[in-house]
Amino acid sequence: MQAQNPPLRRFTESRPAMGSSFTIHLYAEDQARAARLMEMAFDEIERVEEELSNYRAGSELSRINRLAAQQAVTTDGEVFGLLRLSLDYSRRSDGAFDITVGPLMRAWGFFRGEGRYPKPEELAAARAATGWRNIILDEQNRTVRFTRAGVELDPGGIGKGYAVDRVIGLLREAGVQSALVDAASSSMAAMGTPPGEPGWLVHVPRPGNRAQFISSVLLRDNALTTSGNYEKFFRIGDRTYCHIMDPRTGQPVQGVLQATVVTPDATSGEALSKVAFVLGPERGRQFLETVPGARALWVVGEAAAPRTVAWKWQRSAPAAGATGARSVEPHGRPYSF
Amino acid sequence: MNRRRFMESAAGAAAASALPLAASPGGGVAPSDQLNVAVIGAGSRGREDMRNFMRVPGVKITAICDIYEPRFAEARRITKEETPAFTDYRKMLEQKNIDAVIIATPLYLHAEHVTASLDSGRHVYGEKDMAKTVPECDRIVAAVKKSGKKYQVGLQYHYAPWYIEALNRVKAGKLGQVTHVYSYWHRNNDWRRPVPNKDPKLERLFNWRLYKEYSGGLLAELGSHHLHFAARVLGGMPESVTGVGGITYWKDGRNVPDSVQVVYQYANKATLFFSSITTNHFEGAQIKIYGTGGTITLTHAFGRYNYEPKRAGTGEIEEGRSTQQGLVTGPSYRAERPYEGPAEEFEIPEGNSGSATFLACQSFVDCVRNNTRPQIDEHVGRESGAMVALGNLSMETSQTVKFADHVKPVA
Repeated sequence: MQAQNPPLRRFTESRPAMGSSFTIHLYAEDQARAARLMEMAFDEIERVEEELSNYRAGSELSRINRLAAQQAVTTDGEVFGLLRLSLDYSRRSDGAFDITVGPLMRAWGFFRGEGRYPKPEELAAARAATGWRNIILDEQNRTVRFTRAGVELDPGGIGKGYAVDRVIGLLREAGVQSALVDAASSSMAAMGTPPGEPGWLVHVPRPGNRAQFISSVLLRDNALTTSGNYEKFFRIGDRTYCHIMDPRTGQPVQGVLQATVVTPDATSGEALSKVAFVLGPERGRQFLETVPGARALWVVGEAAAPRTVAWKWQRSAPAAGATGARSVEPHGRPYSF
Repeated sequence: MNRRRFMESAAGAAAASALPLAASPGGGVAPSDQLNVAVIGAGSRGREDMRNFMRVPGVKITAICDIYEPRFAEARRITKEETPAFTDYRKMLEQKNIDAVIIATPLYLHAEHVTASLDSGRHVYGEKDMAKTVPECDRIVAAVKKSGKKYQVGLQYHYAPWYIEALNRVKAGKLGQVTHVYSYWHRNNDWRRPVPNKDPKLERLFNWRLYKEYSGGLLAELGSHHLHFAARVLGGMPESVTGVGGITYWKDGRNVPDSVQVVYQYANKATLFFSSITTNHFEGAQIKIYGTGGTITLTHAFGRYNYEPKRAGTGEIEEGRSTQQGLVTGPSYRAERPYEGPAEEFEIPEGNSGSATFLACQSFVDCVRNNTRPQIDEHVGRESGAMVALGNLSMETSQTVKFADHVKPVA
């Protein structure tokens, strides 16, 4: 009789990265192999951060930011490809997604801070330096050039999702069949399903309350990304100013509390969740129609009286014991408005 | 096929005696000023080199060679095109559109691949360490001379602005007399790479660093980055080396030590201590340069200078104080503690932007284009190679090894 493969066991590890925390859940035969896979995965996240961080002086993005206003900067195919993809989403969304929002974030005090209302001249200067049209990519020579000084590339809009996708790819090449990679709970991608289960169960919480769920979905070979206004914000009077900018107006987005998208991969999910957040449900779903496999769930209105808007959203109620699915965030209770 | 046989046959596809190949005309640089670069060994380091070469204007990756074919797709993901790929490096070197070759294969193949590339008329960026043995390093030095091509060894931290700043400060005497360099590369992991699908046939291909047939172990794969920089600080080749190494924790079939401690001694009795362990990460990777005038700490991300604290007792030396009334004894109340005073962070000069690997690749391309000698050339590579090889020899034989017994002076 042939010896059977040992049963797969579930392993989880979290480490700080990209200014937040990454958590990897994976199934492996034993602890030693899991440790090796985790090491490889976190090394890759570190590599991506080393390329894209604008907090690190030696990163490729910092090099481009420092030089591209003076000269066309040649870069490698990977970084160029990510910039091209970002600009493509900017073009298609007419600027609702934009990786040049750094000056705006700074003006509104959200760069290493909790936010403040900018002075008019600060806002004007930041708006002038913001805009994807200020970036010129030369496909032939793989160069990046800024049309003016003050422009900067901000990886915040897409970097975590890219790192998540890279890890999924590496784990797949290493022979892993079941894993979920979670960047700060805002960007997740799933490979396969937990053995014997229909998918990776992920709960979408009520904005600002991670213990109450408004929906739950099963992920399988796709990604889920959430943008929310409640992580960083400030209030003046009864008005809330969140850290997600509408790059087209230079103002924080109003009226949307949270946007969650399910997409084929986490990189596009990062871009599309921002587009969904900035455009809101009406125009957002028109845009998402163009993206195969995309689904979305918005929470809109005032924080005191939120309402949800679902588009192609397949809810999957976490009936206890019915599916046997394991929760990625097991401590909350379902919530409905 | 057992592991050993797989590795031998896999190596056989890549390693063979260097064939004489026709040199490309014009010294190897394409007239269009585009520099065509090929890579032998498209594993993680080879791909990192590819990325960094692609950041240098006018460089194109024109060929990829690896004996493990799934890496072709990974490499093409970086080039973003259907770059021609080869499993036999000799076939690749027969291609016309190659000016320079990156060698990023396991250490035991470096001499083979570097000399074949040089003999074919190509410039070489050879990953560290230069080669596994001193005679192999000598072969590369001879091949560089014969070919007239450029060779740069991939000790990229020599190009990091904060390393250069450290060296400049030492040369300017800011540290007084440098008497010691202590360097650590400490990790807390098994130094293994996951083998796809746990396929035992791929174990030695993916984890070649753990087997001394292919690898120089921690001293070569990690230590070489520190050793030769320390040698530049202390004045070149040491006189002797004494090392200990062993498997302290990871008893998993590997045959290279998972812990090494090595001391190099110089003619003036200055010492370089290097330690690499795999069971505790506390020290991380850092170099400490100790001089009578202060301490420099170098990591992979920054450089820092600490003033040497004033002598214990503080204040100026007094003359003529009377001890006629006697001195009072008592318990010691102040232990010698680690220095916790202020530090000066090195500033990275504007213009020197990018990672150390990028700056090293850019410098190599400049040398090829301008026909200048790489700073970290075959002679540096040979010194580094000798320091690693003799450090390993000392560990294996439990003897102090004299450099003069193994390394001939450069002719």
